[in-house]
Amino acid sequence: MKGEMELQKILIVDDEEILRMLIEDTLEDLEDVQIHTAEHGREALDKLAADRFDLVILDYMMPEMTGIEVLANLEESLKAATPILMLTAKAQDTDRIKAQEAGVRYFMPKPFSPMELLQIVEDILREPN
Amino acid sequence: MSRTKFANLSIRSKYFRIITAMFIVVILTAGCLFIYINSQQAKLSRERETLQYKAQTINELAATLNDVFFRARGYISLKNDNELQLAYAALEKLDVVLASYSQLKLSPEETQFLGDLRAFKTEYENEMLPQAIAYVQTDDYESVRELSESGSTARVNDFLAYTKNYKVRADQVQNDMVQQSVRQSNMFTVTAFALSALLLLLFMIIIWRILRTLVNPIIKLETATHSLAAGEAVLLGELNTQDEIGRLYGAFLHMARSIQDKEEELTVQNEELQAQQDELQDQQFRLERSLSEIESIMEALNQSFAVAILSAKGVFTYINEKVTEYTGYRAAEIVGHPYRLFEMRNLSSAQLEDMQRKRETGMVWSDELLIDAKNGTPLWLHLTLKPYLNDEGGIYQYILIASNITSLKHAQQELAATLTRTEETKTMLERSNQLNHDITYTLDKQQFAGKFIDFMNRQYAFDSSLFLLIRGGIAATKGIPAEMVKQYLDGEGMLYRMQTEKSYVTVRPASRSEQGISPVQLDAYDYYAAVMSADNEILAVFCGTRVGASFSEEETKDIQGLMNRVALAIERLYMYEEIEHARTLNLDIINNVAEGIQFIEMDGTMSQMNKALRQMFSYGKWNEGNRMPPDRWLEHLLGQVGESEALRHFYNQAMAADFTNSGTMKYSIGGEMLKHVDVYAIPVFRREERLGTLFVHRDITREYELDQMKSELVSTVSHELRTPLSSVLGFTELLLNKTMKPDKQQKYLQTIHREAQRLTDLINDFLDLQRMESGTQQYNPEKLNLSELVLGVIEQYKLGSTHHILFEDEAENAAVEADRNKLIQVLTNLFSNAIKFSPGRGEIKVMLRNEPGVIVVEIRDKGLGIPQDQIGQLFQKFRRVDNSAAKRIGGTGLGLAICKEIIEKQNGTIGLESAEGEGTTVWFRLPVLQPQTARPEEEPYKWSPDKDEKPSVMIVEDDYSLSLLLSEELKAKGFKVTHHYQPQQAFEQALRTPFQAVIVDLMLGEELDGWDLIMMLKHDERTADVPIVISSALDQADQSLLENVRRYLTKPYPPGELSSTLQDILNASGASGEVLFPETRLDGKDRN
Repeated sequence: MKGEMELQKILIVDDEEILRMLIEDTLEDLEDVQIHTAEHGREALDKLAADRFDLVILDYMMPEMTGIEVLANLEESLKAATPILMLTAKAQDTDRIKAQEAGVRYFMPKPFSPMELLQIVEDILREPN
Repeated sequence: MSRTKFANLSIRSKYFRIITAMFIVVILTAGCLFIYINSQQAKLSRERETLQYKAQTINELAATLNDVFFRARGYISLKNDNELQLAYAALEKLDVVLASYSQLKLSPEETQFLGDLRAFKTEYENEMLPQAIAYVQTDDYESVRELSESGSTARVNDFLAYTKNYKVRADQVQNDMVQQSVRQSNMFTVTAFALSALLLLLFMIIIWRILRTLVNPIIKLETATHSLAAGEAVLLGELNTQDEIGRLYGAFLHMARSIQDKEEELTVQNEELQAQQDELQDQQFRLERSLSEIESIMEALNQSFAVAILSAKGVFTYINEKVTEYTGYRAAEIVGHPYRLFEMRNLSSAQLEDMQRKRETGMVWSDELLIDAKNGTPLWLHLTLKPYLNDEGGIYQYILIASNITSLKHAQQELAATLTRTEETKTMLERSNQLNHDITYTLDKQQFAGKFIDFMNRQYAFDSSLFLLIRGGIAATKGIPAEMVKQYLDGEGMLYRMQTEKSYVTVRPASRSEQGISPVQLDAYDYYAAVMSADNEILAVFCGTRVGASFSEEETKDIQGLMNRVALAIERLYMYEEIEHARTLNLDIINNVAEGIQFIEMDGTMSQMNKALRQMFSYGKWNEGNRMPPDRWLEHLLGQVGESEALRHFYNQAMAADFTNSGTMKYSIGGEMLKHVDVYAIPVFRREERLGTLFVHRDITREYELDQMKSELVSTVSHELRTPLSSVLGFTELLLNKTMKPDKQQKYLQTIHREAQRLTDLINDFLDLQRMESGTQQYNPEKLNLSELVLGVIEQYKLGSTHHILFEDEAENAAVEADRNKLIQVLTNLFSNAIKFSPGRGEIKVMLRNEPGVIVVEIRDKGLGIPQDQIGQLFQKFRRVDNSAAKRIGGTGLGLAICKEIIEKQNGTIGLESAEGEGTTVWFRLPVLQPQTARPEEEPYKWSPDKDEKPSVMIVEDDYSLSLLLSEELKAKGFKVTHHYQPQQAFEQALRTPFQAVIVDLMLGEELDGWDLIMMLKHDERTADVPIVISSALDQADQSLLENVRRYLTKPYPPGELSSTLQDILNASGASGEVLFPETRLDGKDRN
């Protein structure tokens, strides 16, 4: 265990509790990583405003505020500094393009492979910011 | 003000005042002058006296001085003392003189002189004289001489010279004074003269003014008088003064005017008189002329008129020759006879009366008269009778003038006959014209037939007639009953004969009814005519009967011609009918087409639209032939369209002359329900000519919505399936790839299972719906108790649900015939919805009640509610409440559609009411099975005071079967039963609802048990009075707790015991009006 200063933070935003649990459990073995969750867009925005995250795993279809809307409400500098991974059941090309336009760097369609997700997350976290 | 006042004074007082004022001025001026002259004279003489006196004194002074010197010298020269004394005396005298001199009014020079003199005198007296005396006494004359030479002598001489000089001057002054006084008196004289002259002048002016004031008007008056006398106009202005002259002027003017007026009057009268005289002369002349004219008139009259004179009694006194000529009577045969000699054959009594009246009142009577001549021939006379009146107004004779109008009368009668014939011809012509018009413009066949037969009857005087249009069998008749028509047609021969003979006439003796009142036997003529088409087809038949009059050849020809015209008209009528039918049919077709159709002419005018289009765009009334300019129809249409600019462009393109292909466009019509419309445009050509453009609007809302729904379905399915799939796949993968503790594995497996189950449910839902839609769903109806079913479903939610489900059951008859599993599916679905859409811990209330023939199940939540505009769509597939709160809750969007499908398949209805933010009530109704046998033996126990107010009891029981049992029993007795299984909720419910009784099971939930509920109820004053019945498997363990309990039933007990207990309780409270807890009764009841 390293010092708390070097912990990397991941925010999981999904309205489905089971999926939050699945992602959380997938990533639990990562070292030096702190996992936060948000149930909906509003909570995600609050957490993003309060803290700096090394990765945001964002669901697309959420009530009240979709993932795209969350990004639209996110400050531009923060968006540029934070890698966004979008997990979505909407896996058509148009959705992908829409997500990219909104500032999403990584895109994973549901259903997804947890191991693949783990791999991608590890890669992202290893990348120098 | 004062000026005008003054000017208005009379001349007398005016000039009296002026002269008085002048007189006063003259007197005052003379007086002043006199006083002034006197004072001037007195002043001058006073000055002269003073001057004389002064001169005298100076003279005296000079004399005294001389005397002094003289005495002094005398002494000196003579040494005479006497002389010296005298000298001194003289000096004293000098003092006296000086004193008197000094008393006078002196000029400065004179004062100087006086001072010098005094000084000198003192010096002389005190120095020189004593010195001189001394020298004399010493006889030193030398010194005396010196002394005198030293100056005294010179000074004395100076003094003397001055005095002398002064005297001369005084004289001079005196002279001047005299001259001045002379000048003054001269001046006074001049002044007095000037004053007199001025006065004279003033008087002259005044006199001149007086003269002017008086004389000028007098001269004018004189002139005016002259002109008045001469009869000319008096040009005399008004004088604006009020004085005598002014008044004189006024009076004169008045006089002059009145004279002139009188004169004019006289002139007018004179002229009138002249005119009258002229007229008289004229009249006389005319009279003379008239007389001669009358004579010639008489002459002329005698030439052509019969003239007779009758006496006042009506006896002929004179006749001229014409009378004889007309009547054949000689003069001797008439004169002396009364007028009644001639019989007036044509006069009615009224005319005779009129004549009598006119005659007696002196008026002229004139009329046409028929009498007999002497030889008996009728004679028409135009007769004029004029009475002659004497001066008293009495009639003294009559003059009678008559002309022979016999031939005129005959001509007149002939003319009248001709006119009548012309009139008849005209009427016939008019009828003909009318018929032409009618057959041209009447488009209704029946009307046509009626008009034609009317015409025939009037024109040719048919007594009875029939006109029949063969096609359609339309007939018009006169005098023939309508039902006889067929008989006519079927009658042998007529139509057959007509094939060869267009028209024919038959003659037969008239029947009795046709004959009417005629005493002689008449013939009846029947006219048959066929109306033939160009193809020799009989179009119509005319039959007419005329009694007693045959048909002339002319008439036959006429009728034949008429029939040809009618043939044309009938053919036209048929053609019109066909066209009209085709047109109406087309119109009906167009109007019954669901698509909106409009036809736009080349100039943009809309000349046709169908009903569907009118409804689509809510155009007002449209009558055929209406034309609507583009700025009206297009703007009206575009105003309702969402894509108005695009549609305008489409219209403009399609209506353009170079538009040859067809075009299509989709647009939407706004409003409460958005409509989607597909419009296509086709140019319409007739041969090569473009007539306009046809637009067809097709409502594709349904297709559009289906499309929308399909893509929605894809999206929903995609999302709804992917989420549970993610879990299943994800957790499986974790299980496969990670090592983990067994409990975690267990948890994962459970999750996988649940999610897989969810997936299955979803798929089942899809499949269910698919089945239902395709009609392959199988239902297994069976007899069910809905209360039981509902309680059973609630049982499923008792454990682990966040929401409390309250069940209020007042259905007496809950028996239905339905598929059990499907109904459970519906209930589960509805409960799940109610729970899902009531986030937090809302209460779900389920109510069961009967309505005539049906049972109603209501599920009411206090959740999010549904926006009003979405309620209607909710029972459609894939419709979910479209707001964020509902989105979070998720769902397939199929539940309500499935419910609707199921309920409707069980012959039920389903619906919901909702208010956003307040909650939703979903209800469904199912027809109940009528109970086969009534339970009459239980009727007495049945509590039914009235249907609306059933006694309400609450069962707090967590055992499903037991509460069902109790509930059935109580409902059968007419109670309304509310089910609870949680003590806390039950207590809260009890606070809200006044229950007649509460049945409590002691073994309840985990947190609170039945005892707790009883305590809670009894410790709250609002519920303390509610009777409680304990239903428990336990024995009466703790008697101390029982004091508030009304009844203790130990399970198992027959349900009838509970209901009868409740019955007792209600009877007791009903009787006394309050709830009682008698210990003894409790004991007594225990025995049961």
